[in-house]
Amino acid sequence: MTDDNGNLSIDFLVGFTIFLLAFIWVVSIIPGLLIGLQAYTIDYDAVAYRTGVILAEDPGRSVLDLEPWESYYLQKANVTRFGLAITKETPNILSQDKINRFFCSTVFFYPEDYRNRIIFGDYPYRFNISIRELGQNNTRSVGEVIPDGYGYIRRVVKIKDSSYATINSTNYTNLDGVPSHVFSIRINSDNLMNEVIDPRYQINPSKEQLTINITNLSKLINPSTTSINLTNVTLCFMDMKSSICYSPSPSNYPFVDGSSTRLTSLPATVHENITVKLDPAYINDRLKLGVNNVYIALRFDLTNTTDGSPYNGTFLNNTQVLPNINTLWGNATFFDPETNVYNNFTHPFNYDYNSSEVTQPKLKDAVMEVAVW
Amino acid sequence: MARLNDDAQWIILMGFLISFSFFFLALIINQSTVVGQTTAESIIEFPKNDIRDFRGIFIDVIAKNTTLANSPTIQNDLKSISLNRKNAVVNFSVWYKPNDAHTYVDLYYNNGVTLYNETWASL
Amino acid sequence: MVNREGGQLFTIEGIAAGLLMILTAYLVVSATSVYTAGDTHISDMQLEQIGSDTLKIMDTPENRTTQSDLQMIFSKPIIDEEKFKTNFLALTNNTTSKANDHINFTANYTCRIYPGNDIASSQFSHSRNLTSGEHAVRVTKWVIVNRSFCGTTGEDRAVLVEVLMWRD
Repeated sequence: MTDDNGNLSIDFLVGFTIFLLAFIWVVSIIPGLLIGLQAYTIDYDAVAYRTGVILAEDPGRSVLDLEPWESYYLQKANVTRFGLAITKETPNILSQDKINRFFCSTVFFYPEDYRNRIIFGDYPYRFNISIRELGQNNTRSVGEVIPDGYGYIRRVVKIKDSSYATINSTNYTNLDGVPSHVFSIRINSDNLMNEVIDPRYQINPSKEQLTINITNLSKLINPSTTSINLTNVTLCFMDMKSSICYSPSPSNYPFVDGSSTRLTSLPATVHENITVKLDPAYINDRLKLGVNNVYIALRFDLTNTTDGSPYNGTFLNNTQVLPNINTLWGNATFFDPETNVYNNFTHPFNYDYNSSEVTQPKLKDAVMEVAVW
Repeated sequence: MARLNDDAQWIILMGFLISFSFFFLALIINQSTVVGQTTAESIIEFPKNDIRDFRGIFIDVIAKNTTLANSPTIQNDLKSISLNRKNAVVNFSVWYKPNDAHTYVDLYYNNGVTLYNETWASL
Repeated sequence: MVNREGGQLFTIEGIAAGLLMILTAYLVVSATSVYTAGDTHISDMQLEQIGSDTLKIMDTPENRTTQSDLQMIFSKPIIDEEKFKTNFLALTNNTTSKANDHINFTANYTCRIYPGNDIASSQFSHSRNLTSGEHAVRVTKWVIVNRSFCGTTGEDRAVLVEVLMWRD
């Protein structure tokens, strides 16, 4: 019968003590193994590199590629992946519109909206992405303040500026002494897309915003006696066979006199200048239907400030509108001037690559940084 | 026959258990640092910028200008300097199809690890 | 007489287990290596990416009608060392915050001596001369130039621009 009366043998105590001492000593050595690991995991640099590549070299994607992902009208859920490059053939050349949309904090919220569109992966990485144009002081960024210990990549890129036209109205007056004047601008998208095919320098009305500034309107009249009213704006889209004209919606109304908000209604009084900015998504929809020319027609009516009666005078005018000035539509207005009876004044202002008043797209140096932790 | 006394086996077993867990820990730690190293090294090793550069020379410059495209001087320049300084064998030929306005370029790049072939057609 | 050595078993087992653990710990600690930041080549990769980007950007013209910076630098009768240095340092050292990076470089071009297959390199720009202590990465860019050198006059030649860059 075993006798387990509770007396531990000396041998057992000695053996167990030796074991315990060795164990304690060994356990105190093992944490030294962990010295080699940094405060941040090495994975962060890889994720930062990947994010940098996607942003700088990929054009981004929307669901089913129906629209450009940076389109103002595209819902957030339909953006599959962010990417700032103009096209996939032009890495490191970024689009200003895409940059603006990417950093728009009223649409995309940090961090969730960005995590599954640009960072990817199961771990909830935190990040900070920033872009600065060289020579400027303002940095655009999204994300948190960077801590000590993070993965990092820096890319040097170029940002494509949009083109714009500056029209000095004193150069485009005609001699008619009439109260109503029409000025039209022609955007020949076929010509724009075919004359220059390099996406870095191409003016692409379906992807980039075109801006037309008409200046010096007050120099054409005597401001104390005459007022200028912008009565009507029409957009006409012409394909091989016919054309359709629309009044634009208020989201495409011009800006007047340096205001930062668009006009809310027409007619409106103008004093000095008008800026027309067309939304590329709107033009893109029409261009998909085979349209190759877009005409913008602006109708001005001059009145005497004293009594509002029509004032006959010369003004910004390059268009003869027949037969119906009220709808701003007529054959003579929009025919190709080379095939029609040539009249110096029925010649729309051409927004193209050769005009001296159109500032061509320019590429500006910039630097982009991605930090992930 | 008396059974061997195996009362103290548990001490040895504990010892073994702890040793194996040390080995496992060491393995994990060793592998974790290698992850970052191989990622960066594989990025450096893949010649993305070299291939894009080589391709860009043709597509941007040479294919647009027929004199350059047919110049044996430029061909030999590219081949010799690539072999000598970039350790890469390159070859290219510009050709045309009859009744076809496009320019075709066959590109070949091989740096011993990565091989790249392309037939590029102008728009 | 009763054998009173049964307890030695515990002692021996204890010593054996202790030795086993100590030996294992020693093996493990001496086997895993401590990686320093340089061993992982991550900073090399980052520097190389910046350099490649910079050379590519320098070879992109600002608009449709002008030449790129790199073309203009190489088409002057004497290669424009200052312009290359200013542009390269500006593009590589600027960051999105106010702090600047401290990258230095030395650049040379390689051309083939016509006729034949020999090649020659010569330095055309540097921010500081290389001493032996820098850990540098190399980035390259092809340029087509029309110059009188390397055995031809006034002909288009392909030249490789090589830049060694390092952080101070």
